[in-house]
Amino acid sequence: MPSWFKKVFSGDAAKPKKAAPKFEEQGTVITPVSTPPSIDSPALGKPDTAAHEEEASKQRKIVNAPILVPEEEQSSWSDDVRIKAQVEAEGTTCKFLVDRPVLDGLSAWFPSAQWAGEASQLAAKLFDVEGVGSVMLHEMTFTIGLADGNTRPWEDLAAETGSVVREFLKNGDDIVSPAFRDNLPPVEEIKTKVQACIDLEINPGISGHGGVVTLERVTGNSVYLTMGGGCQGCAASAITLRQGIHTTFRKAVPQIGGIFDETDHTAGTNPFFKELPAGMS
Amino acid sequence: MPKLETFTLEIKTGTNPGPEKPHFSINGFPLQFEEVEGTTEPGGTMNLMGETHSFPHSLALAGPENDAPDWDIESVSIKYFCAGAEPYTINLGKVTLDDNSDLNIWHEAPPVMFDV
Repeated sequence: MPSWFKKVFSGDAAKPKKAAPKFEEQGTVITPVSTPPSIDSPALGKPDTAAHEEEASKQRKIVNAPILVPEEEQSSWSDDVRIKAQVEAEGTTCKFLVDRPVLDGLSAWFPSAQWAGEASQLAAKLFDVEGVGSVMLHEMTFTIGLADGNTRPWEDLAAETGSVVREFLKNGDDIVSPAFRDNLPPVEEIKTKVQACIDLEINPGISGHGGVVTLERVTGNSVYLTMGGGCQGCAASAITLRQGIHTTFRKAVPQIGGIFDETDHTAGTNPFFKELPAGMS
Repeated sequence: MPKLETFTLEIKTGTNPGPEKPHFSINGFPLQFEEVEGTTEPGGTMNLMGETHSFPHSLALAGPENDAPDWDIESVSIKYFCAGAEPYTINLGKVTLDDNSDLNIWHEAPPVMFDV
């Protein structure tokens, strides 16, 4: 059984996280900078500069242990296509995990049936399902967004879309057309244009909130980024990503498929979340 | 993010022992466990209970300190008790902590998934 299979069907989609926030007392203001004060530290309010400098040079790192999958959740290959659905937090999208590649090495995003057109027969078929408003295909997943005004329950909609994908994959038809693949710009071109968007539009716009977006990499036509500074841990970062960043990137490069935020919103040197000094609320 | 009220840990130590009395940190602030039973000697099992009553942006089990030997952890079972939600358990596998590392023990409840 391939190792990714256990992971996909274990509910463990988490990647190793970066270092968690560290806090250091500086006068009366606690800022997340370095090593946490020792549990034996007798006087948090009296910083020892030399000691703190020494401590700051020895930051502790947070490590992750593998999450074990219960035996009953493990599966094996079968002729049938296994699909699991996971309604995402806001309830407007549902991500489907498939036990085999849907679109290997690429991603494809279709905001309407018109976009799907002849680019992807699978996406076009999914748009025939009542309630489907957008389709994203990526690696071993596909994500369905609800159409405006849809009242159909996810269980119902997910079952139908799952059947469409299952049948399509069994038939072995091409997920996207050759023309779709041929029209994809080179990775370097996507990188250059996305970086320009970040430098000229996005970062100047969010710098007022102390935020910063960094392009991590482009794989195929998928863009991976991290959000730092004030964006990290901010409850509104998902909205910023979806309404601001997605729109800007796709305007610059319409062939971009998935845009993924790899930020660990619980860690970093200046997360949005900060502890306030004692007495403040 | 759920509000974590309390959590319990069952730590099985491998070949190298761990701290006599481990502690944890939530959002970077170190705290002692409320209940500690058992041992972190090689092959031993320790059960701990921590109280947080807070929203865990980070939750970490502190590793060895100040040049203490590495701690071989065979497995960790964590049970989370969050406000307004059913308790859930996450099981972690082998990991070794040195005197410069802590173990991430905050994992949100696995997403609810269903077959289609």
